[in-house]
Amino acid sequence: MRRCQACRVDVEGDWQSCPLCHLPLQGRATPDPLPRVPLVFSRGRVLRVLFGCSLAVILGSFASQLLLHRGPAGIGVLRSVWLGVVAMWWVVLMAVRKRRNAAKGTVYLVLVIGGVSAYWDYLTGWHRWSLSYVVPIVSACSIVAVLIAVRVMRMEVGDHIVYSGLIALLGLVPILFLVFGWAPNPIASWVCVAVSGAGLVRLLGWFPDARRELAKRLRL
Amino acid sequence: MTRRNWVALDNASNIFLAARSDIDPKVFRISAEMDQEVDPEVLQEALDLTFERYPLFHAVLRRGIFWYYLQDSDLRPRVRPETDYPCAPIYQPDRRNLLFRVLYRRRRMMVEIFHALSDGTGALWFLTDLVDAYCRRRCQAGDPRGQSEPARVPVHDLSTDPFAQYFRRGRGSGADGEPAGRDEFRHAAAPAALSVEGPGSPAARPSRRRRRLFDRRIQRVRGTRNPDNRTRVVELGMAADPVLELARSRGAATTVYLTALFLKAVRQSSPGPESPATLTASVPVNLRQFFPSSSARNFFATIRVGHDFGQGHDEIAAICADLSGQFSAGATPEALEQKLRRLIRLERMPPLRIMPSPLKNLILRSVNRASNRGLTVAVSNLGLVRLPDAAESRVAAMMFHTAAVRPQFCAMTHAGRLTISFTSPFVQTGHVREFARLLTDQGIGVTVAASRVIEAELGVVNLPRHRTRRHRPGREHR
Repeated sequence: MRRCQACRVDVEGDWQSCPLCHLPLQGRATPDPLPRVPLVFSRGRVLRVLFGCSLAVILGSFASQLLLHRGPAGIGVLRSVWLGVVAMWWVVLMAVRKRRNAAKGTVYLVLVIGGVSAYWDYLTGWHRWSLSYVVPIVSACSIVAVLIAVRVMRMEVGDHIVYSGLIALLGLVPILFLVFGWAPNPIASWVCVAVSGAGLVRLLGWFPDARRELAKRLRL
Repeated sequence: MTRRNWVALDNASNIFLAARSDIDPKVFRISAEMDQEVDPEVLQEALDLTFERYPLFHAVLRRGIFWYYLQDSDLRPRVRPETDYPCAPIYQPDRRNLLFRVLYRRRRMMVEIFHALSDGTGALWFLTDLVDAYCRRRCQAGDPRGQSEPARVPVHDLSTDPFAQYFRRGRGSGADGEPAGRDEFRHAAAPAALSVEGPGSPAARPSRRRRRLFDRRIQRVRGTRNPDNRTRVVELGMAADPVLELARSRGAATTVYLTALFLKAVRQSSPGPESPATLTASVPVNLRQFFPSSSARNFFATIRVGHDFGQGHDEIAAICADLSGQFSAGATPEALEQKLRRLIRLERMPPLRIMPSPLKNLILRSVNRASNRGLTVAVSNLGLVRLPDAAESRVAAMMFHTAAVRPQFCAMTHAGRLTISFTSPFVQTGHVREFARLLTDQGIGVTVAASRVIEAELGVVNLPRHRTRRHRPGREHR
């Protein structure tokens, strides 16, 4: 074992200088009891920064649209390209971030796609194509997709029931479109409500688990 | 269909989730150094056996809307060679992984635990059973030493929360024996409105000494952060008896003596050691010694002790006398119970209960940051550890250390060998140097094992520039 004459301690490992006072050591080296681990690059921190920057650019892009003219007389096709790229960026970001739970990720996707399409619709003259088509179609498809995914992926009920329930409830939102006549073409909304109703009936089979899961998550 | 057991996270553990950071991921490690190289296959078999007896260690951590909870899982642990730096992060939000890992390297086997799962005592129970099972398996494999009978140990389940058992309103003492301060527990069982101590009651009144600690400006250790937020570990090994004798000669317990040495060492390694300053240490107290519990979940409280330097009483004996008085006052069942009941009452306040967990975390983080401002160092002593017969003769030394947001030491004694592991988020080791010299000056033989944290020590350069902090010699300890 090496020795530091200044500190009067024996030093394990192959240190050339004393780890305490940095003066040279004397004697023979011994195997180091602690591993020599190379410095690591913090991927987590980089991803956090990237996520924050991406979100800032995306929200900034959406906000800056308000400074331009609404409707087709505005910046025209450039707006669609811009919004398309930003929306895709956001969707991919959310899909990657929430990739560990398909049901949870789907909730985020429904909210992001529904919100973006409604905003896009508003920017391009509010023709309500988002309410007629995008929101109900995305909601209905997400209900079907989640029910298939949880079966194929053999997810435990407790892991998805809250999110599945939330997606099914989101699928009932088009009822408002029908009641208030917000959707010029109501067919997709009717289909969405029907699919959502069927989904809720399926989820009722998991009611005890849903209640238990909610008791867990909502414990005060 | 799987219905998984779950329990709400106990009182102490919530702070670990809020306070964890890149620098301090709230992971600690207990290691055993064996007499031979560790056999990973036997260690895996031993881990499988031990894991069955600890349902608590099956748990994964999940976040509810208002609180976190531990949930049973089907995950199985695998032993791994040690390839990462000590006390690397374990818990990652949104990932369901076990909250501990078992590692091996040469003659050492190590258990690293996320502190929200268990405390030092719980981890020590686990490691003891693991080492015992390992030694028995090795014995069955043909080594004549040791015994082959299976160990009988209690099952450490998920459900018992000793904090709730003892300190929550409406819950009486659940102990088999009669713990100290039994009357206080009857008092605790009364409605909170009746049991709250008035501001003028002796127990609720902070002592003059304690007020002075909080009023004064506390000296904090500063330094250059380790480049990739890893913890700097420096282990000091020595014979336990001479240190015990030194402590006795000062009329102090070992923990008090070591704490006094630590404060003195920090003082000596700091800039301007002549100016008046107060140095404080946070010391965890194992509540099981006062409130019997076989739960491996967190069950400890911390007390804060300190000493005013620069007032002419800076000899070790004077510091020991000062600290002993504070330990005696703070580490009593009554004082601890009152503190914990106050904390639990705070936790159970309706406005805090209905606050979503991210917001709650923000508040707890702020509270923790404010509390850290009043701390110079932290100290933890697991004391003398005796292993089962099958393992006792095969374990040469045991080590204990934790990731730290400030300089800290963790100590434990086994087979006459005291190991004091210093951890720090800083590159500098001046306080350890002074500590070692305080011991060697009194004739104690000390061996040092240190982890490497900077390029010059590691012999590799792959560090992005933005992750280092500039050296500020004027404000740092040496």
